[in-house]
Amino acid sequence: MALRVLTHDERAASGLLAGLVAVLMAVTAFPILYSLWISLFAVNLRRPNRMPFVGLDNYANVLASPQFWESVGRTAIFSAMSVGAVLLVATLVAVLLDQDFPGRRVLSACLLIPWAIPSVANGLMWKWIYDSNYGALNGLLLQLGFISSAMIWLGDADRTLGLIANAFIWKEVPLAAILLLVTLKSIPADLYGAAAVDGAPAWHRFVHVTFPALRPGFLLVALYEAMMAVRHFDLFFLLTEGGPGGASDVVAWRIYVETFRNLSFGTGAAMSYILAIATLLMSYALIRSMARQL
Amino acid sequence: MIIPRPIGPRLWRGVGLAAAACLLLVYVLAPVAWLLSSSLQTEREIVSIPPHWIPDHPTLQNFRAIFATGLGLAPAPPGADPSGAGFVPSVAGNLLPAMGNSFIVAVAVVILNLLIGVPAAYAIAKIRFRGRSVALYAILATRVIPDIALVVPFFLVVRKLGLLDSLVSLIVTYLAITVPFSVFVLASFFEQMPDDLDRAARVDGCSRLQVLLRVYLPLARPALVAVGLFAFLASWNEFLLALMFTQTSASQTLPIIVAGITSDFTVSFSFLNAAGVLAVVPPVLLAVIFERYIVSGLTAGAVKG
Repeated sequence: MALRVLTHDERAASGLLAGLVAVLMAVTAFPILYSLWISLFAVNLRRPNRMPFVGLDNYANVLASPQFWESVGRTAIFSAMSVGAVLLVATLVAVLLDQDFPGRRVLSACLLIPWAIPSVANGLMWKWIYDSNYGALNGLLLQLGFISSAMIWLGDADRTLGLIANAFIWKEVPLAAILLLVTLKSIPADLYGAAAVDGAPAWHRFVHVTFPALRPGFLLVALYEAMMAVRHFDLFFLLTEGGPGGASDVVAWRIYVETFRNLSFGTGAAMSYILAIATLLMSYALIRSMARQL
Repeated sequence: MIIPRPIGPRLWRGVGLAAAACLLLVYVLAPVAWLLSSSLQTEREIVSIPPHWIPDHPTLQNFRAIFATGLGLAPAPPGADPSGAGFVPSVAGNLLPAMGNSFIVAVAVVILNLLIGVPAAYAIAKIRFRGRSVALYAILATRVIPDIALVVPFFLVVRKLGLLDSLVSLIVTYLAITVPFSVFVLASFFEQMPDDLDRAARVDGCSRLQVLLRVYLPLARPALVAVGLFAFLASWNEFLLALMFTQTSASQTLPIIVAGITSDFTVSFSFLNAAGVLAVVPPVLLAVIFERYIVSGLTAGAVKG
């Protein structure tokens, strides 16, 4: 076996990288491969001594299950709502923070609050806001006269996904706005200068200069937020546990139920794998489709 | 001759900006203000309709109960009437120990992130070696893997090693969700530093490690702060893995106890909100105090990612 001699630099690099390589091997590469292995067996912790090899049966069962595809549909709706709203709100916030006005720094410091809040506390907070008896949402809408009687918010199957998305969006907007603001700041000033000489009105400048220049930022934010939304679990656990009547039963929740309530680890691992591969494909497709517009 | 500028458009611009800024401030702060306000209300006040946006009789009774029972100064009264004014749920005493667990885990994860991340990031940014792009792609790929996909294998391994319900299992698995990002942020920071520093120091006979420790590290302080904060916040806030691995108060972190309280119908609404406030205060303080470091760190991580 011909081992190429490592250069001096490469010896140094391998020493410096040893910790990282060990971590990536132990807590990323190994679990991912182990998960693939598990997904080929009918592992059920209720029957710990029987673990028959079933090949791709777990995958076939998952992909043939209407319940799984319904959860995929809900995940898609939740993600589309979340990504769309985050992009819209974050763009407005970024454009605002790009202006110069007194109190801008205080505002951008406050903007980090939703980002920093633990998702569990975020879930608790919104569950209490949506509370059908004493919550702030009912209280506010009743006081303003928009509704005449208290609504059951999270218990309404038609509203659940949107309300959970709202809590998700509130927490995700700050990061998205910060990333878009960086893109805004990188727009060369002479682009605006040229538009100003043409006498273009402000909205015209936004549509023809700002918006096209923001595209790489949109790509990054859409990709990141889509990844976060598709895998999101915490709010579903805290707010609805997949209910009412399965109205918020998304893929991440399904994986949790299969694995830790039904104890079918093989099925859970197969679903996780499908989710991971879908995430990879989605991020690839998203980059490609948006790159073509650039 | 000086022609006075028309004030109209500028005035409107100012009004528009002020209105937009106020709207954003309300959007960001109102939910948190309601959480805080609710945590300071008595049990009688919190069930009033319409809600009291500002408590008439603000009280610290929930926080007093959390600290008194948590520090062992007073036993948690068993099963008092939940509708009573001074009711303290039995889980109150678990909040401070859980906060302690969260803190230990987060600090350990920060230290390990810096120990592992700094040398690796330096090597990726400053040394040309075969496999450098493979290392970069591997780091990027880990960020695409959903954490929920790691849960099943982690759980089986942790169980086999007998590490369920231990802080070690949390610390080690949290490296999976923090280290790649830390390396990325640090590497993009090191990359911006001039290579000349490196060469000059090595001509003087410094080894790579000495260059890193003596030249780059002192300059990299903002990046180290940012990465430390990210690792701390990610660990402090993590829920899914802690939900799988922890079983008793020996290892349960704050999000687990808070989630338990959220789904416990016997716990009073004001106490629920107080528990929420307890979980929110440390990360929010860190974020607001170190805003500048966080924003520059997020930007560095994103521009490269």
